[in-house]
Amino acid sequence: MEELLNDVVPQEDLERFERKYYHELELDGEVSTETKFEYAFCLVRSRYTNDIRKGIMILEDLARLHPDGRRDYIYYLAFGNARIKNYSEGLKYCRAFLEIESNDQVRSLEEHIKKQSDKEVAKGIAVAGGAALVLGGILGLGIAMARNKPKREK
Amino acid sequence: MADRAIKLLIIGESGVGKSSLIRRFVENKFDDNHDVTIGMDFKSAIMNVDGIDYKVALWDTAGAERFRSLTPSFYRKALGAILVYDITNRESLVKLEAWLAELDSYSDNPNIAIIVVGNKIDQERVVDREEGRKFARKHRALFIETSAKCDQYVSDVFKDIVEKIVSSEYFGNGNASNGMTIDNVQDVDSAPSTCYC
Repeated sequence: MEELLNDVVPQEDLERFERKYYHELELDGEVSTETKFEYAFCLVRSRYTNDIRKGIMILEDLARLHPDGRRDYIYYLAFGNARIKNYSEGLKYCRAFLEIESNDQVRSLEEHIKKQSDKEVAKGIAVAGGAALVLGGILGLGIAMARNKPKREK
Repeated sequence: MADRAIKLLIIGESGVGKSSLIRRFVENKFDDNHDVTIGMDFKSAIMNVDGIDYKVALWDTAGAERFRSLTPSFYRKALGAILVYDITNRESLVKLEAWLAELDSYSDNPNIAIIVVGNKIDQERVVDREEGRKFARKHRALFIETSAKCDQYVSDVFKDIVEKIVSSEYFGNGNASNGMTIDNVQDVDSAPSTCYC
């Protein structure tokens, strides 16, 4: 799963489908479902967070308006969200998918997101724990110093 | 010495068993439900050939039409392609012609190793073994028939193609510059399906 998520879209693919998207937009004032999906599919695999966010927006739109291709949209919504570490959203889409259809690929993605998000939580706890230790140390030092003080005065 | 990573592509019509072959090979599992692949999927395996470990990256592509325009970039840098058809569905073999054309136009490796796989030998056959073999020979590809369900000859698919890639020029062992591949067509001659799973 790691490899799949780290695989970045070739720049020329992204540019090609971007051109197609804006070409249709300018020419017809609207973009076909197919072109929207192609562009979004490239965006969510981009190196840049802003591209991924844009892809997610297009996919959300597609999923709302076109229920027929939904499984593809929902999977790539989970995928895009996973890539920008938006784990709770990613999990939400995985679960929505698996409620409708059993799928090994989506289950792997779900597992991966869970693992990553647990890691983040653990990291958070470690950081908080570390801070508590430091704070405890300072407090302890303060107390010790306060206790020592009278002794020295004697 | 080139990097010991091998990228393989698995292509063919929807429902022929591309993901099932990979799943059987990598995880030794099989699911009767057809989980339709979305876009592309990835799994990897370490394979040992002549005492050397190779990291084999398996790129599984969706057979579905809507991804046709989107998958070509995945053809890049592939050293081998596994073309799968379903022996209970003649159309799926006919369509391999189009998949090969696709491979020809998008692959950046003129010496890409190809193996043609007729899957589902646990089921009633519609396509003769000879037809598949002929197709493979015509395109100078290796050929094998398998059952992902019953785990018949599945590992041979990967072994055959990886051995071919490893023995080619790419890994500096170059005796064959891909000219003599016709002689190489490997075939596991087996009794027809004797599977009771």
